Amino acid sequence: MDILIIGLNHKTSNINERETVSKKLLTPELRREFIEKLLELKDEAGRQLIKEIAVLTTCNRSEFIMNLSYWTQGKGGHAIKNYIAKYFFDDLEKEKILYMYLNEDAVRHLFTVASSLDSMIIGEPQILGQLKGAYNEACKFNTSGQFLNKLFHKAFNCAKTVRTETKIASSAVSVSYAAVELSRKIFNGLEDKKVLLLGAGEMGKLTVKHFIKYGVKNINIANRTAEKARRFVEESFEDKEKTYLNVIDFSEYYKNLPNSDIVLCSTGSEDYILKYDDILPVIKMRKQKPLFLIDISMPRNIDPEINKIPNVYLFDIDDIGKMIENNIEIRKREADAAIDLINASVAEFMNWKESLNTVPVIISLRNKIKNLLESELSRYITDEKEKDIVVNSLTNKLLHEPTMLIKKSSLNPDGINSIKTVKALFNLDAEDYSEVSKKHISETVSELAADSEYNDTKIKLVK
Amino acid sequence: MLKELYLIPLILYIFSYLVFALKDKKYYKFFIYLIYAGFICQTIIFFTFLGIRGFAPPVHIDRFVFFNAWILMLIVVIFSFFYKVEYIPLYITPLVVLNLIIAFFVPHVHIKPVMPNTDKIILFTHILLILIGDSLFALAFIVSLIYIFQERKIKSKKNLKILVMPSRSGYNLELLDNINYICLKVGFPFITIGIVMGIYLSSSLFNTFLIVKPIEIMSLITWLIYAILLHERMAKGLRGKRAAVFGIIGFMLILASLGLSFYFFPAFHGFE
Repeated sequence: MDILIIGLNHKTSNINERETVSKKLLTPELRREFIEKLLELKDEAGRQLIKEIAVLTTCNRSEFIMNLSYWTQGKGGHAIKNYIAKYFFDDLEKEKILYMYLNEDAVRHLFTVASSLDSMIIGEPQILGQLKGAYNEACKFNTSGQFLNKLFHKAFNCAKTVRTETKIASSAVSVSYAAVELSRKIFNGLEDKKVLLLGAGEMGKLTVKHFIKYGVKNINIANRTAEKARRFVEESFEDKEKTYLNVIDFSEYYKNLPNSDIVLCSTGSEDYILKYDDILPVIKMRKQKPLFLIDISMPRNIDPEINKIPNVYLFDIDDIGKMIENNIEIRKREADAAIDLINASVAEFMNWKESLNTVPVIISLRNKIKNLLESELSRYITDEKEKDIVVNSLTNKLLHEPTMLIKKSSLNPDGINSIKTVKALFNLDAEDYSEVSKKHISETVSELAADSEYNDTKIKLVK
Repeated sequence: MLKELYLIPLILYIFSYLVFALKDKKYYKFFIYLIYAGFICQTIIFFTFLGIRGFAPPVHIDRFVFFNAWILMLIVVIFSFFYKVEYIPLYITPLVVLNLIIAFFVPHVHIKPVMPNTDKIILFTHILLILIGDSLFALAFIVSLIYIFQERKIKSKKNLKILVMPSRSGYNLELLDNINYICLKVGFPFITIGIVMGIYLSSSLFNTFLIVKPIEIMSLITWLIYAILLHERMAKGLRGKRAAVFGIIGFMLILASLGLSFYFFPAFHGFE
């Protein structure tokens, strides 16, 4: 029942470390393999440690959002963390670049990430889409259960509130905008410049849109599958923008380099696409005219050594992040307002989670009443089916008010007393209670769902 | 004439810097206006002198320096008018200010009328052309310096938040390089013709083609440096940092030769 987040981001690790991690999580197959290995983790008693898991990987972070099993203790969390450090780095020392959040902290962290407050560029819009992608994938892998569903939907909701109610995104300085600003520091006017985009992705799309806004009229797009590039152009751009775009064959990108002033690279390749030796002749052919390379892919696609060539300027995602750090101060004010909103959402979610803690009480109460009714009624009703119906409806009717009271009481701090009272009144044994919780929890969660908003989540999921 | 007049543009320039130091975008306009006002002052003073003297080269050292400052400022104003970039006056006015200070403190010494027989118009054009050429190279020097600093900043990716100018054209490398190139292209013919005239003057005076004096050799080396630079740029497309370094070396040589000619051979070019 505990939410655990383990991960690393641009604040705790450097680009090489993130690269190592993201290389091992590059494709859905790799991620699936990793998830399966994590799910196999067992505690001393041989019980599964992790119940639900979702993996979020972006260029600036890799995070594993987990719902732990009921019996998993603090030791289990550390075991998971050690395992992750070992899996990616083969080095337990690296454990210190991983952060670990539990329960409320974890929820707050996830909501902060979703609201793009934790991003390298506060307020950038991509992270929400990436989070949605992570969630969808977890659904596809069947590793997201009711608990993570609720958590993610709440996170999306929170992000939306933050976005609409604060100005955090309205004046967003994104990586794409920063790329345009940088080119304006190198080139005098972008109107006559040629842009080459390698790889058709979300980040590339945003950057190209920015370039068009600032007057670039000649953009070539190359993707490994030309079909995808064409679809990308068709789907992502408006008619007016399309007139500036030109899809070229991926094999031709090298021929196009001498004519391009700005090269944007955002492919999913594992290796360097542009190497040091590739660029040397290009810059000669360009008669030393400046060439601006932007590498927004992770793992990096352009050899960092290239920056040493005169008149070639290479910026990777880390460099751009550092450049934008200055703007963060301005955003902090808005971020404060956003933090209030996030705290409200976190409190809401934690309340919901707390209410789940009353579930075992409700279950044992129900069982007690059910057992009593059953034993008493079996004297008068012989038909099993009929008896079941009567028992169920009686239990529901009898316990409707007490159940509501227990659920409500969990929402305020004094509620614990009323729960204690209920326990004392019906002599609900503590041992019995924990036994029950293990056994029937999943059953009850779905029962509970019947009268909570939980249902909506489920319906959405089914759709 | 009154040397105190030099202080008027000097004070205006210093004041404009104080305005700039406020670092408020609202005042950038005033900064530019003050620079222009200083230039107009200089022009008025210059033409007053010229009106008194008639069409003759400045024959006092202080006026000569003042003349130099005026030419420099003229080029700054023309360039900042065409390119609409505020940093040209921002960084080159210190040179002008330096010239004005020198003009103020240098004794009002009459340069010896070394060439009584020569054509005064040729002498005047010789001085004018060399000064215009040198001023253009001075601009190229400043622009090269900015280029090198800026390029280093971009390459090392540190501290990229640079002073934002109202024109928003900012310090982009391409523009800096273009200005550098234009200065070179325009300045080089001026210098060439100026040097040719100087050689003509000296040969008509001494009846020898070339007198081997340090200043002559320095000028020729400078000219050669700029000639190589121009050739490389035109033929091979030399650009960016290397061109900027060339520009800086060239201007250093100009300064050295000017310094030599003024301070080590006060009797003008060493002709006694």
